[in-house]
Amino acid sequence: MARVLVVDDAAFMRKMVGDALTKGGHEVVGEAGNGTEAVAQYQALKPEVTTLDITMPEKDGLAALKEIIALDPGARVVMCSALGQESKVLESIKAGARDFVVKPFQPDRVIEAVGKALA
Amino acid sequence: MSTGAALTRLAQSSSEAAVGILELFAPGQVQAGDVAVLDAGSNPLAGLPYPAVATSVSYVDGVTGGNVFVMTLEGARKLAAAMMGAGEPEPSDAGELTELEASAVSEAMNQMMATAAGAISTVLGTDVEIGTPETRTFLAEYQTANAYPATPHMVRAAFSVCGEPCRLVQLVPNAFVVRMDRALDELGAETAPAAASTTSASPHGAPSLAGIPVRVWAELGRASMPTAEVVGLPQGAVVELDRAPDEPIDLFVNGRRFATGRLVVVDGDWAVRIESVLPSSSDSSDTEGEVARWPVSS
Repeated sequence: MARVLVVDDAAFMRKMVGDALTKGGHEVVGEAGNGTEAVAQYQALKPEVTTLDITMPEKDGLAALKEIIALDPGARVVMCSALGQESKVLESIKAGARDFVVKPFQPDRVIEAVGKALA
Repeated sequence: MSTGAALTRLAQSSSEAAVGILELFAPGQVQAGDVAVLDAGSNPLAGLPYPAVATSVSYVDGVTGGNVFVMTLEGARKLAAAMMGAGEPEPSDAGELTELEASAVSEAMNQMMATAAGAISTVLGTDVEIGTPETRTFLAEYQTANAYPATPHMVRAAFSVCGEPCRLVQLVPNAFVVRMDRALDELGAETAPAAASTTSASPHGAPSLAGIPVRVWAELGRASMPTAEVVGLPQGAVVELDRAPDEPIDLFVNGRRFATGRLVVVDGDWAVRIESVLPSSSDSSDTEGEVARWPVSS
């Protein structure tokens, strides 16, 4: 059970990810719709795990990931994106993401990724 | 490869990506229709029932161009309901989608385009990135007239989702066609027509792989000889191959032996009639591996 910040520009995806996490016994403590909000929410809420979409307006998920890791090198971030290209996955992992979930996903995959990030 | 063929390939590849994603959201409720190259200057959204919901996504770099996925308002509502696991949508007289419905349709488009972009990246050999989706509702066809920037080329793929008509329109600038053309030419020289028809059986969960062209070739037989003998081969020399005329020949896909068959003539061209498709795990040898195991012929 962890306090999770869910970041995605689509309200629908925030609901899907949130529902999956709730099903897995986690608590969604906040949501953000772009990278700028994500960084602000991260600082305000100090979540144990953050899920981050990549393609978002204003500031994308990779930029947000780098800022969050700079603020808190121990941050546990799971990328959750439809862009499954190898270059995106590698860039995310290099920047400090713990896992990468490619959309469309099964709810169990999100729960597993968050579980692994906590381990 | 002609511009028309490159455009059709692009539309087919995107169409397969779209169907693969939509099938995950609305299982058993997606049917792919035809793919057509549209006349320059025509309205790509003409002829649909209105009100309609359109979601557009543009490529941000790698490739310039855009995509519009358009479906009837009723269809968008049904797709959103299916995506949320709700079955049928709540009855509504509202002329537009709720925020959550619009977000669901946008996300479906986002995932379709991300998958298609992955397939296109593979063809072009460079990363293709997409922007964030933008969803609009059109109450009547006249509103769509100049809704999206005109491009010299347009293709559209038709579908039916949840029993409602929809289409994926690709707005294609010249630069894109030139790059696509070149990339497909490089791949296309050895691409048998059969490769396109096999892609319809897209494995579930891997729709992006369904549209990737692969190299297919047939092999009559092999010979092994020292380099000195090869460079010394005079014109008119006969190189004996290791296979009898009544033996089947091998069909390779991207270097992997995939099937055996018989050489036949179809419409004046050589063709291979497949006799047996090898199980995927039985023969992992690529060309080099196969050569290495050969006995040296005398």
